[in-house]
Amino acid sequence: MKNVFIMIVLVSGLVFAGCSSKHVAPQEQPAQIEMQKQAVVPAKEPSKQLSQRQPENITDQQLAKVETTEEAPTYSEEKSPFEDIHFDYDKYEIQSDAQVALKSVSSWLLKNPSARLLIEGHCDERGTNEYNLALADRRAKSVRDYLIALGIASPRVEMVSYGKEKPICTEHTEGCWAKNRRAHFVILREAGK
Amino acid sequence: MKTRSKIQSSKFKGSTILLFTVCLLSAVCRLMPAVAEAKVYIDISSPAFRKLPVAIQEFTGPSGKEISDIIRNDLAITGLFAFIERAAHLENPSQPFNPKNWTPIGAEAVVKGSATMAKDLIVTVSLYDVVEGKEILRKEYKAGKELLRPLSHTISNDIYYALTGETGIFRSRIAFVGEDKGERSVYIMDWDGNRITRTGLKGNIVLSPRWARDGSRLIYSAERNRQWGIYLLDFTKMSERKVFSSKGTNMAGDFFPDGDEFVISSSKGGNPDLYVVNLKNSAATRLTSSRGIEVSPAVSPDSGYIAFVSDRGGSPQIYLMRKDGSGVKRITFEGSYNTSPAWSPKGDKIVFAGRRGTNQIFIVNPDGAGLTQLTSQGNNEDPSFSPDGRYITFSSDRDGVKGIYIMRANGESQERITPRNLKTYNPRWSPN
Repeated sequence: MKNVFIMIVLVSGLVFAGCSSKHVAPQEQPAQIEMQKQAVVPAKEPSKQLSQRQPENITDQQLAKVETTEEAPTYSEEKSPFEDIHFDYDKYEIQSDAQVALKSVSSWLLKNPSARLLIEGHCDERGTNEYNLALADRRAKSVRDYLIALGIASPRVEMVSYGKEKPICTEHTEGCWAKNRRAHFVILREAGK
Repeated sequence: MKTRSKIQSSKFKGSTILLFTVCLLSAVCRLMPAVAEAKVYIDISSPAFRKLPVAIQEFTGPSGKEISDIIRNDLAITGLFAFIERAAHLENPSQPFNPKNWTPIGAEAVVKGSATMAKDLIVTVSLYDVVEGKEILRKEYKAGKELLRPLSHTISNDIYYALTGETGIFRSRIAFVGEDKGERSVYIMDWDGNRITRTGLKGNIVLSPRWARDGSRLIYSAERNRQWGIYLLDFTKMSERKVFSSKGTNMAGDFFPDGDEFVISSSKGGNPDLYVVNLKNSAATRLTSSRGIEVSPAVSPDSGYIAFVSDRGGSPQIYLMRKDGSGVKRITFEGSYNTSPAWSPKGDKIVFAGRRGTNQIFIVNPDGAGLTQLTSQGNNEDPSFSPDGRYITFSSDRDGVKGIYIMRANGESQERITPRNLKTYNPRWSPN
């Protein structure tokens, strides 16, 4: 019995080898759509037989509305007294003029110990959503790291990236793009205080 | 004596099996050329294959025209068929098929059908081989009236399979982000832009819906209350669940094939790195730890590799690594801004957006060879392949309002499929 199986394997090998060498030629011709012979199809995908008695019943994935559960904010927000600081294209290093601005942000925070700061990172519209979100994340983090280095306690400085999703200027010009490559500041107060 | 006869009979059985196997295999062998020739191979360098001349008759009965038009539109996107227009048909749709009516006008395949509408819509379809003069497909379909389009797409799939031996994509869908009156939400539509459905899922910003490989779930990123979370939409339960959140920016990447794990980009550890998140225990395992940006991970179909974007070389480029984070190698070298990689279903191509003044769609082999630009008008982003790898969906602003487009994988036949009054982006073709 064992020998028989070995023979089957050997013969199968031969037959298949015959198959592949025999049909090299047809594959060299330009690809053509040909009618498939009925006998072939059920073997490959039995569920798609060419003729059937019972009608195929068509159903569709349900798509009922799923509502997002709203989450309540844990703080209230105030407009900050600070101007935006700006970045070079595809860069997240703090420029020298921005360093001056950040020093005044840090001295304000030192004088207002109950306030927390939210830094928003933004990009211009060039580039793709996800990379811009990562880039704007790095911009906000550069600002946050700079403020921490100036002596602000890290829990007082939050950050969020908006990528290119919230431009303040919508023209497709270098002037507009420069305005959008920014870190924006928001003052946070604990909710209910 | 008894033993001997037993041995003999088993020998006899053995040689019968052997003979049978040889017969079976040679039968398979004889059938193989049909399979080999039926297989349509589309080389993206645009080969000279011959389009099959097909006549799709207007179906008889209620909604017959609509159904047969949907089928024609489905088959048209493939670029594999030449349609014999209805005005040229010599045979009335209600007449029985006669090859003599079709040979003179050059049709090689003919589709005929009839629809009846009672409680349900019932459609009977026949596909004929004109050269052989015989019916090669006959099937009946039944659906509620509201499912006329899915029913028609199912017919297209069966015709396509009968003619090419390949599975059609005509019932696949595209998930995307839409912005209606400033409110962003996850949407789902058919691949042809019909049946646009807005889920109730929203955030201030919603991005990147990504399908699980079985098409039953989506993950996406949303910013809510100034926090970026990763959310899971389960179609079987119709529920949304927050599956990952932390301080920093969290962006949905891609499911692993088993559906229990997915890879994301998160800046929870200081800067944007890639993590594998387990859905069962919410554990996040770090994959990268460079000082720069790692974002937009895409898992290869065999799950062995992850393509992603990193700026570790000074500009955003596409890299590949093994699924455990080892063996990182860069695969894009042209241009200074290459992002948003997605794999072809066979794993032989990666499609991405590259900036060349404006953002354009490119494809490249996973070894970095064979770079080909597919688009040239406007800004084109967020590419992903159809389940059969023959088409690519992407977003473009080429006509002013950002919308979702589809094209063949060689860049031919670029077509907007979403309406101009809806700003849409981040399309992802469903895996089935």
